[in-house]
This record gives sequence, structure tokens and C-alpha cells, in this order.
Amino acid sequence: MAIEVPVEHVLLVAAALFLLGLLGVLVRRNIIFLLMSLEVMMNSAGLAFIAAGAKWGAPDGQIMFMLILALAAAEVAVALGLVLQISRRFDTLDVDAASELNG
Amino acid sequence: MLDWFWLVPALPLAGFFALFVTEGKLPDRIVAAIGAGSIGLAALVALGAGMEFTQSGEASYSQTLWTWMAVGNFTPSITLYLDPLSLVMTGVITGVGFLIHLFATGYMWKDHQEPEGYSRFFAYMNLFVFAMLMLVLGDNLLVLFLGWEGVGLCSYLLIGFYHRDAENGYAARKAFVVTRVGDTLMAIGLFLLFRELATLDIQTALGDAAQLDPGMATAIGLLLLGGAVGKSAQVPLQTWLPDAMAGPTPVSALIHAATMVTAGVYLIARMKGIYDLAPVAQFAVAIVGLVTLLIASFTALTQTDIKRILAYSTMSQIGYMFMALGVGAWSAGIFHLMTHAFFKALLFLASGSVILALHHEQDIFKMGGLWRKLPVPFWSMAIGSGALVALPFITSGFFSKDAILLTAWDHENAGRWFWAGGVLAAFMTALYTTRMMVVAFFGETRTEPHDASRINMWGPLVVLAALSIGGGWMTFSVLDDLLGAISHIPHTHPAALVTVALPLAGILLGWLVFSGRLRVGALVESPFGDAVRRFWQSGWAFDWVYDRVFVRPFLWVARVNKRDVVDLLFRITAAVTRGFHHIGALTQTGRLRWYAANMAIGLIVVVLIVASV
Repeated sequence: MAIEVPVEHVLLVAAALFLLGLLGVLVRRNIIFLLMSLEVMMNSAGLAFIAAGAKWGAPDGQIMFMLILALAAAEVAVALGLVLQISRRFDTLDVDAASELNG
Repeated sequence: MLDWFWLVPALPLAGFFALFVTEGKLPDRIVAAIGAGSIGLAALVALGAGMEFTQSGEASYSQTLWTWMAVGNFTPSITLYLDPLSLVMTGVITGVGFLIHLFATGYMWKDHQEPEGYSRFFAYMNLFVFAMLMLVLGDNLLVLFLGWEGVGLCSYLLIGFYHRDAENGYAARKAFVVTRVGDTLMAIGLFLLFRELATLDIQTALGDAAQLDPGMATAIGLLLLGGAVGKSAQVPLQTWLPDAMAGPTPVSALIHAATMVTAGVYLIARMKGIYDLAPVAQFAVAIVGLVTLLIASFTALTQTDIKRILAYSTMSQIGYMFMALGVGAWSAGIFHLMTHAFFKALLFLASGSVILALHHEQDIFKMGGLWRKLPVPFWSMAIGSGALVALPFITSGFFSKDAILLTAWDHENAGRWFWAGGVLAAFMTALYTTRMMVVAFFGETRTEPHDASRINMWGPLVVLAALSIGGGWMTFSVLDDLLGAISHIPHTHPAALVTVALPLAGILLGWLVFSGRLRVGALVESPFGDAVRRFWQSGWAFDWVYDRVFVRPFLWVARVNKRDVVDLLFRITAAVTRGFHHIGALTQTGRLRWYAANMAIGLIVVVLIVASV
């Protein structure tokens, strides 16, 4: 017998995770942490999808979650390449160092 | 032969294309054959067609080639219209044109100023003849205007033929711009005519001209006169012609003496129906002619460049033609146009021979004593000068000028004034012509000539000399039917005797003064005499006035307005856009986290807006 978790609670957790991730993106300067914060934000979105799918008994929520997983994997693959390039060129992982492209 | 009449303008055009597309790669002999041959063939066709036309007894003959364009009711066609007036013009253009082309084959041969220009020269000349023929043969004012602008273009190209010298380019531009003033007036006149009569077909328009409001007829007449004044170098648009002498001498003979500058006379004669309705405009024609012939003949007396003397002389002779048209001596004006084409082409070609023999020396005071050494040019010059001063009964110029002056005497309003002015100018003509002859051909030799002329150069001189003498005996009664008869004052009338006598007096005085038998040094060198001489030499200061009234203010405005005031609008637009760009560029910091924060804030704002609605 599974414990019924109200959907509002799950959504609150998802919102909290999203905010934490966003804060991480905004305040962290290390690009690795930045990427990790992005992952957190995506997972919060995934969690919201799961909760919604469970509430209406529809499979779409889980499908969307799998899509997000694939997206996250692809994103990490590209992003790690960028991280390598940045660390080689600027000899640091500080994302603010790569701010040459300005007006 | 009349069926083949379209060949008359087509042959010069074909000649132009042949020389144009080969880009000067043809050998010079073939260029000469094409350049002069195309005009010669056209002259033969014109001769045959003209004989057939006069024998047919018809008043006019027209040959429609095709419809130029069809825009609603406006369907101008390319139609060749032949009547006595256009026949005379065609004869002059092709006949005299051929002789000048023939002369030019020798004159331009191995030209040291422009060694590669032989083919270019004949291409322009052929194009000119084509445009001039379209001008006189078009039965439609639009075709006439096409030819009108075409000859203007060729005149520009040929004045600036020696383009390596910047001054020649300036002279060419001056001619183009000054005549453009007249052309603009003429175009406005044509617009008015089209608005009033809804046709540009000359015969239809003249037939309907009676419907015109008298004021409108006067306006159209004056505007067309403006065009004629520009093209024919009459006061006040005459300043370009002396500078146009920068072109090669055959060009001066063909374009700036025999044909193009008489286009204004042709235009006014062709539009006679309008001027019959507008006596004021016709009177203005006479005034323009009188003023020009006086100013130009006084100016010619003080010039030292032989070509400039002839240029001013051309201006004054065209002044006679304008005066003739203005006082109603229509056929005498056209007759003078024809004889003038003969003797002025002769004078220019003969002076060209002299100039060539003296290695391009044009100052008459550096010539002298040439009459023994250059007999053919000398006798040509002498005969041409005789016709120019209207030596009685033996030269063509006498018959035409006499007819003009005696008809002027008959004119009801101011006939005596026109006659007096014309006779005074005839006296001055005799004076400056004698000066030119005496200074250039008699006295001591100042520059040693080398006669390099061949038969293709002196042949045309002989033919033109014969025409200058015999041309006067040609009947011009064919024109009487078309344009109205002229005065028939008997030659025993006092006015007629004075008309004959004054040029002779002028020759005598000129010979006495310029051969040094009559001392006038004190008069000429006095401060007053010197001031008058310099005033006349500058062409009555027209260039000086125009320079200060038009050229300098225009250049001043151009300099002040270098950063074009109209451009301000566009420059403001650009500045505003650039300002926004700078503001926008401030947000682009290159900082990733700053972008993310902005995105988040923007998202929150959007959500709040959506939620609050």
C-alpha cells in the first residue's frame, strides 16, 4: 500500500529544487557547479512532470521525463567539451573569465 | 528612289555602328571608306529622291517606318517627312556633310594629337549626321527632339575629342550645359503644345494651331525660341560656341557652322504656323537675331584666333537668319542657311588646311604671307570671304543676305531699325573678314608653312568654292510656296544701293587699316579704344557676367552645401539608430550569469503580468 503523497507537496519540492538550481546558476562562478545547478533545474522540471502524470494517470509525464533525461545527457556531452576548451584557453573554470563577447 | 528614302538616315547610322562595334581595330583606310562613304551614299540617295520628289510636284512626301510607341492615344511614329524645307536641309546635311567628311579623311590622317582617334572621330561624325537627319526629317516633334538631343550629344563628344587636354573637356561641358538650358525651355514648350493640342505630329499640330489661345501660342513660340537660341548660339545663350572651337576643325565646319547650329533656324521655320499666330514671339525672334548679329560681328573684329573669328562670324550669320524669320523673310532665311552652309564650311575647311600646314597654329598674327605658299586654301578663303561679306552679284552670300535685308526694310513695325542694324553688321562683317584675310595671308611670312594637303582635302575646297559662288543662282522659289515670298524691292532703290555699298566700303576701310596704309594706332591705343577692344574681345563680357551671376554662386552654394542639406534627414535617422545600438550594446556584457539573471527576471515579470490579467 503506497503512501499517498499530495501533488501539491511534490510541486513544492519541485519549485524549491528549481529555485535552488537557479540560485546556483546565478551565484556560482565555477562552470562545473553551474552545469550541476542546471541539472538540478532540469530534474525539478522532470519531477513536476512525473507528479502531474501521476495525478491524471497519464503516461505523458513519464515520457516527458525520459525526454528530459536524454536532453540532459546531450547537454552534458556538449557542455563538457566547452568546459575543456574554457579551462584550456583561460586556464580557469571561472565562467566570468569568458566574457569577451560583449558589445 | 523615293521608296529608298529611309536609306538616307540609315546609312550614316550603319556607318556609326560599323565603326563603333569594331572599336578602332579596322585599318585607317577602311575607316575612311566607311566614314565618308556612308555619307556619300546617303547624299546620292538624297539627291535621287530629291529629284524624284521635285519632279512629282507633290507638296510633301512621307514615309512611315514604324510606330515608335503606343500609349493610349499617343502613338508617335517614326516617319520621314519630306517637303521643300526638309529637302534643303537634307541636301545641306548630306552634301556639305559628305564634303566635310572627305576633307576630314585627310585632316585627321595620322593626327599627332590623337593618333588612335581616327575611327572614333568618324563614328561620332556619322552618328551626328544620322541625328541631324532625324531632326530635319522627323514629322513628329518627338522624333525631332530625339535628333535635337542626339546632335547635342555628338557636339559634346566632338568638342571634347582631344580629351587629353582638360580645357577641351571644359569647353565640351560648357556647350552641353548651356544648350541644355535652351533644351529645357524647348521641352516645356513641347509639353504645353501636347497639352493643348494632344498631338506632337507637326503637320497635325500646325493644322490645329488655330485652336490655340493667342497667349498660349505666344508662350509656346517663345519657349521654342528658347530652344532655338540655345542650339543656334544666339544671345543670351551664345557663349558656348567660341569655346566649341576646341574640337577638330572639320567638326567646327560640320556641326558648328553648317548644320547643327542652324537647327534652331530650322525649328522656327518648321513651326511657322505657331509664329504666324504669335506676332510677339516672331518679333522676339527678330530681336534676338538683330542683337546677336551686332554683338557677334563687333566681337569678331577683335579676335586673334582664326577659328574664333569664324565662330563669331557664324553666330552673326545665324543672327541674320533669325532676323529673316522674325521679319517674315522665311524663305530668305532658309536660303541664307543654305548659302551660309556652303561658304562657312568652305571657310572652316580652308582655315583647317592653313592650321594643319602651320602645325596647328591658329593665331592670325603668327600667320601672314601665306597667299603664295598655300594657293588652294588662300583662294578658297578668298571666295568664302567674298560670300561672307556678300560681294555683289558674284557670290551666293549676296543673294541671300540682300533678300533678308530688303525684306527687313519692308517690315511694318521696326523695319528700318532691323535694316540699319543688319547693314551695320554687314559693314562690320566686311571689316573683320578683310582683317582676317589681310593679316593671315598678306604681309611678311611669320610662320613657314608645309603644305601637306592631298586631293581628298583640296577637292572638297574646290567643290565648296564653286557652290559658294554658284549657290546663289540656285532657285529658292520652291521654298516660296511653302514659306511665303520675300520682298522684291528693285535694286535701284536707295536702301538696296546702301545695302550693296556698305560691305564694299567695309572691305576698303579694312584693307586700308590692316595693310597699314591708314594709321589708326592712336585711336586703338587710347585708353578708351583699348577698353572697347578688350570689352569686344571678351565677347561683350557675357562670360564674365555669367561667371559671376551663375557659375560662382552655384559653386559657392555647392561648397557650402557640401554635406547636402537634404541628406540631413537620413543622417538623423542613422544617428538615432546608432544611439539605440549603443544602448542595446550596453546589455551585451558577455557575462553568462548576468544573462541568466535577466532571463529569470524577465520570466518573473511575464508570469506576473499574465497572472494579474
